[in-house]
Amino acid sequence: MQAAAAARPPGCGPAWLDDARHQALRAFMERGLPDTREELWKYTALRALQQQAYAPCDEDAASRSVADDLLRLDGCAGPRAVFVNGTFRVDLSRLDNLPEGLTLQPLSEAMQRQSEPLRFLLAARADEDEDGLTLLNRALAADGLIVRVADGVRASQPLHVVHVGASAGSAVGWHLRDLIELGEGASLAVVEHHVGDDASGHLANLVRGVTLRANAHLDWTVVQRASRNTTLLRRTDCVLHDHAELDFHALELGGKLARHELRVDLAGARARFASRGAFVLDGRQHADSEVLVTHRGRDTLSDSLWRGVAGDRARGVVHGRILVQPGADGSDGGFYNKNLLLSPTAEIDTRPALEIYADEVKANHGATVGQLDENVLFYLRSRGIPLDTARRMLVRAFCAVTLDGIQPASLREFCETLLAEQLPETEA
Amino acid sequence: MATQPGEVQAALSRRYGAGFVTDIESHSLPPGLGEDTIRALSAIKEEPEWMTEWRLAAYRRWLKMTPPNWAHLKLGAIDFQAISYYSAPKNKPKSLAEVDPKLLETYDKLGVPLHERAKLAGVAVDAVFDSVSVANTARDQLAKVGVIFCSMSEAIREHGDLVRQYLGTVVPQGDNFFAALNSAVFSDGSFVFIPKGVRCPMELSTYFRINAGHTGQFERTLIIAEEASTVSYLEGCTAPMRDENQLHAAVVELVALEKANIKYSTVQNWYPGDENGKGGIYNFVTKRGECRGDDSRITWTQVETGSAITWKYPSCVLRGDRSVGEFHSVALTNNYQQADTGTKMIHIGRDTKSKIVSKGISAGRSQNSYRGLVKVEKGALNARNHTRCDSILIGKKCGSHTFPYMEVKNPTAIVEHEATTSKISDDQLFYCRSRGIGEEDAVSMIVDGFCKQVFRELPMEFAVEAKKLLEVSLEGAIG
Repeated sequence: MQAAAAARPPGCGPAWLDDARHQALRAFMERGLPDTREELWKYTALRALQQQAYAPCDEDAASRSVADDLLRLDGCAGPRAVFVNGTFRVDLSRLDNLPEGLTLQPLSEAMQRQSEPLRFLLAARADEDEDGLTLLNRALAADGLIVRVADGVRASQPLHVVHVGASAGSAVGWHLRDLIELGEGASLAVVEHHVGDDASGHLANLVRGVTLRANAHLDWTVVQRASRNTTLLRRTDCVLHDHAELDFHALELGGKLARHELRVDLAGARARFASRGAFVLDGRQHADSEVLVTHRGRDTLSDSLWRGVAGDRARGVVHGRILVQPGADGSDGGFYNKNLLLSPTAEIDTRPALEIYADEVKANHGATVGQLDENVLFYLRSRGIPLDTARRMLVRAFCAVTLDGIQPASLREFCETLLAEQLPETEA
Repeated sequence: MATQPGEVQAALSRRYGAGFVTDIESHSLPPGLGEDTIRALSAIKEEPEWMTEWRLAAYRRWLKMTPPNWAHLKLGAIDFQAISYYSAPKNKPKSLAEVDPKLLETYDKLGVPLHERAKLAGVAVDAVFDSVSVANTARDQLAKVGVIFCSMSEAIREHGDLVRQYLGTVVPQGDNFFAALNSAVFSDGSFVFIPKGVRCPMELSTYFRINAGHTGQFERTLIIAEEASTVSYLEGCTAPMRDENQLHAAVVELVALEKANIKYSTVQNWYPGDENGKGGIYNFVTKRGECRGDDSRITWTQVETGSAITWKYPSCVLRGDRSVGEFHSVALTNNYQQADTGTKMIHIGRDTKSKIVSKGISAGRSQNSYRGLVKVEKGALNARNHTRCDSILIGKKCGSHTFPYMEVKNPTAIVEHEATTSKISDDQLFYCRSRGIGEEDAVSMIVDGFCKQVFRELPMEFAVEAKKLLEVSLEGAIG
């Protein structure tokens, strides 16, 4: 892994970019991949990555054929941006009828044509809390998406961003860097969609920055059904200014190892963050959802509700942290996580955490791990419903609460269907 | 509270309070730690060869370890070579007149009986107060039913086989940095053995133990409850203890065999440092109980109000089927105190149950963290855990944190955790004040109500004192 990283000449853009990349690469070589001694990686080991060699890019990514069915998602008929094995595909994307005020540019194109405006992003100094993967991304990110919404613009249709993992003969490791910026009073819906048919076991390392200016509203839905061989590592840093709102939904179904570190900084007064997420795992899947919320502004609100289901030999990890900074009076934070363990070989590790440095606050969290209620199962069976169907019904109901707010309705229905298909076979 | 290593050294070598007479000690080792020190220490205590070797093995493991840094604590590096690892009782003031008047003032507030103050203040006991007769009566009573209750040094000499069989089986020598240090240099502590079927006729307390006056900074306690026996053990005292040592690293091991029941209650009120965060005890404690037999039960109850730094996680290893572990805690921090405390419940046997109730109160500029782990192993069929963590904040500059970990590997387990953090409710305060209750009294009333659930678990006389202790500890926090 490290050898692969070192072997690749990091870009050949303007001098400042090359410098920044070299610097990040050096920092990465010093730091290495995160290991389980790091608090945020306590339950997710990346040992397997170190033994795997990843091709630095897929040479044929631009020409691979991708079935249109794979890209389609109910409720997403508007603008679409498609990445295949980490490469932006203009031919598969639909970016011609963008509403006025919404600009969208692939990072690769931006770096070739006008990289200077991106200097603030690509050559920024690494934060102290950046781990090895983020540094690696800084060094190697070759593509990504720059999305900007002008002040006051309200995009009516959701932006559909598809990440496709296609079979490429050998495992490919790609690094994408996204930037989403909503101006004052702007509003946008993004649907992040991971699909794949690859048998090669790719590695995707995504780093995203999201800025919501005053009164902006972002509705973000993640539908993750990447191939069962994929390692999908994501880190998202969101900053919310005064009165900004972020509604986040996640349905995590795919991947061999799927991790998302979602950091939300409620910097402005009355900023609001709500998240609803669920993962349903079987086989040897490993999912890790980290939701790290920082209340900095006054009267900020955060509310998270996560559900996890693990069957077979799967392992689910949830970490919800609410940090209230000094001066963030009037903060109200909540994190609730419930999990179902369906098999004797599955494991759930959950950590809700509160760090409170202000006194005018309300902060609550709750977490449970358990199994389906035998009485309810018995009731359903007594009504003539076979055991297996009854189990599926209950698991579906258990997760469905996290899908409730997904917009539009057709997308929510599609997610419900996906969920039903995914439900692991339970053992009697 | 970032401290420079130099300051820590200075703090470590500093004596608590002024005005103590310096006697020339009979036995004491120069500062520093090495195999020679440990051999010398073991020789002074007239320990058998196996004990010396056991200490040395621990020391060799300790050398390879690094101090833990995961706790939510800010402290400078501790120079372990600057500490003297053995000193016989010393520096005793000859009468109450020589004791820090502030300390006496606190005793007044706590309502400590006059004759006990001298002992608590560390005045040489035989000079003022006859505790020997009380202790002797207790001893006779215990001996009649076969209970062994003595100091660890005595146990090593007289009940070597028992000690050898159980010592280090719950907290192994290399368990963690501070436990390894303790294993190498432990000074003294209590040893309790309750034979099969015996219900200990009284609450055991260090208070009644002869020679308990000076257990030193590396306390080691071992409690063994044989089949179907019951014991309740009280540690510490509500009154602030005068102590000249800055670093404390204790280890407590509990072993509960089949159907045994151990209740371990602690009130910790070591010197917390002054209002500006100067001085105070560093308290790094490893406490663990093992429910080794089926149907056994271990209950930890703690009221933590003292120490500049508290690092303490009384845990239960629920190995026996149907065993039960409980943890009830009140942790109060004020001024610049830092506490990182909680518990671990490790479910291994079938049908095991655990319950955690933690109440945190932070005031002043203090930081108070709950850190807990509930782990359900693969074979722990039908494990059940419920955790409740509440914290209140008094003041704008303090912090209150909750770090629970839940690791579940068995699908029949039910593990629940809930936590809340808020400040004292304005409505409640307003109500109390509208009924003519002053603000300070109202706060202490509300805090008392907040902690009730834990106080209920304490032996009665402790509970009464604990309430007063909270009042005293909170002084100056309001307004």
